[in-house]
Amino acid sequence: MSLGLILMSEHVISVSKLTKFYGDFKALDSISFSVDKGWIYGYLGPNGAGKTTTIRTMLGLLRPDGGEVRIEGSDPNRDPVHALNGVGYAPELPNLQTFFSGEELLDFTGKIFGMPKQSRKERIGQLLELVGLKEHAKRKIGKYSKGMVQRLSVALALINDPMVLIMDEPTIGMDPEGTAHFRDLFVTLSKEGKTVFISSHLLDEVQRICTHVGMINRGKMVFSGPISQVLEAFTQQWVVEAELQEVTPKIIASLQKLDYIQNVKAEANKLVIELKEKKDLRGEISSEIFRSKGVLLSLNLHKITLEDAYLRALKGGPKE
Amino acid sequence: MSFLRRSANLIVYEWRRALAKKKFYLLVILAFVLQIGVLALFNYLFTNPPPQFPVEALLEGMKPLMWIVGALGPQNLFMPLIAIIIAGGSMSEEYEHGTADILLSKPITKLEYITGKYLGGLTLLSFVVALTTALGVILSFAFFGPQESLQFVPHLYAAIVYANLIFFSLAFMLSEVFRGSTLAMLAAIGILVASIVISSFLSIMYGLTGGQQIYMDITKLLPNWSASSFPSFLLAELVTVPTSPFLTVQSGEVFLAGAIIAVYTAVSILIAALRLVRSDVTKKAD
Repeated sequence: MSLGLILMSEHVISVSKLTKFYGDFKALDSISFSVDKGWIYGYLGPNGAGKTTTIRTMLGLLRPDGGEVRIEGSDPNRDPVHALNGVGYAPELPNLQTFFSGEELLDFTGKIFGMPKQSRKERIGQLLELVGLKEHAKRKIGKYSKGMVQRLSVALALINDPMVLIMDEPTIGMDPEGTAHFRDLFVTLSKEGKTVFISSHLLDEVQRICTHVGMINRGKMVFSGPISQVLEAFTQQWVVEAELQEVTPKIIASLQKLDYIQNVKAEANKLVIELKEKKDLRGEISSEIFRSKGVLLSLNLHKITLEDAYLRALKGGPKE
Repeated sequence: MSFLRRSANLIVYEWRRALAKKKFYLLVILAFVLQIGVLALFNYLFTNPPPQFPVEALLEGMKPLMWIVGALGPQNLFMPLIAIIIAGGSMSEEYEHGTADILLSKPITKLEYITGKYLGGLTLLSFVVALTTALGVILSFAFFGPQESLQFVPHLYAAIVYANLIFFSLAFMLSEVFRGSTLAMLAAIGILVASIVISSFLSIMYGLTGGQQIYMDITKLLPNWSASSFPSFLLAELVTVPTSPFLTVQSGEVFLAGAIIAVYTAVSILIAALRLVRSDVTKKAD
């Protein structure tokens, strides 16, 4: 085994130079990233960027045209039995077997994973309770609402108590209560040492729960790394917003003289102060405003959000 | 062992999938109705022979063997159609409904998947054949009294299942190749109808040309010839049948029919497996 392969197998998910064509269209262009144990990895990108293609290739549903995928050291295309045995997958807008009831589909899926009858029975009860479908357990899936199908899909992904959870837009079409419930669930699973890979459009959700993010645009990996690093990497400047009783020319002039301030813009009784450095300089700014006889009502440091970083990344920002 | 366990799960799954279809039940009921109708018609001819057609003497020798006619009743049309309905949607519906993603993202190989799907459909078809065979035997007792040579019922049953492998496998292959159930079923039904029509045409040509062998040879290569003939050929080898219009056979034809079924089946399975293994799992038949 080469050193490269040994190193790759240490990651829970390892994607290396993955390339995928649909006819002449290059859907994935040599993308690489890795996900380690206990991470919640948010996979971001606009529609058509290649998120679902990446996930379906990771699961062995699509055959890569170049590069490779390893899950727990195994190639899901060549050895799906080992690669996917510890994986739970919930697809985007799942289409489940409508002729089964929720309970029956969970039982069938448990059998595929080789779970004994008693374990299946216990696990199915727990999961139906967890996703709020216990009362609908014996109802045919064809009669479920979209939200119920989405919940059942998450339960299906968890049936084998997976070490790796791959979720493609898991909360799409879910009510806010359900979204919050699943957000907490993913955090809990991560704390248990499980790896969660989430493709999502909900940047606020991703920023709240993910430890790491990957960004893909037009089939190319734009960034992959810790969420703090992505914010740092795409931050051009920090901004302080000051609300005053009255904005005077004297205050603006005194602030503009400070060497750590890039620019000061006045908007009614507010000042938007752009800083040269990525530092929290609110103390210095408030002192200066006070010295200029200004009456400060509020002072907020506006750091970059994941949404800002994401939008900048899509315009062509730095890579990891 | 794991291969068998995972494939066995898919066999049960395939039964559930196929049994959820209304058209499946409709065809099975029509097959039953046909069986009852055919045997009731014979019974009528036995009890009320038309004076202008002295069929009574012709039919009399067949009476104790009417279970064969009963069991073979649905074989020419309804059993191939049931086989097509089961197999034609087997692979394609999973793509159309997006459920192939759910199944193939689990720890199963594509070989296990296709094995389970194929055997699931085939065992269901075998179950339907068992029902029609049993019904044929029971009805024959009811209509025509004691039946003979019943020790060959299992042979006939196995022969019918084997004969149906042709259209089952063709529809299964088309289901995977086209990944659209309507197209797959229409194509398979088209092959069935076309081979029946072409056979008829070739038979006419055979008669018109004074028995030129080439027409008969081509007929034998068409899938419907072996599918419809193999069970009766086999029975004729086993049972001493009085001269009758129902069971005619030439020596050695049973092996030819059996070989043709094997070739069609093997080629179909191979094409389906290669298509599955060498291509992406598509969604919505894209």
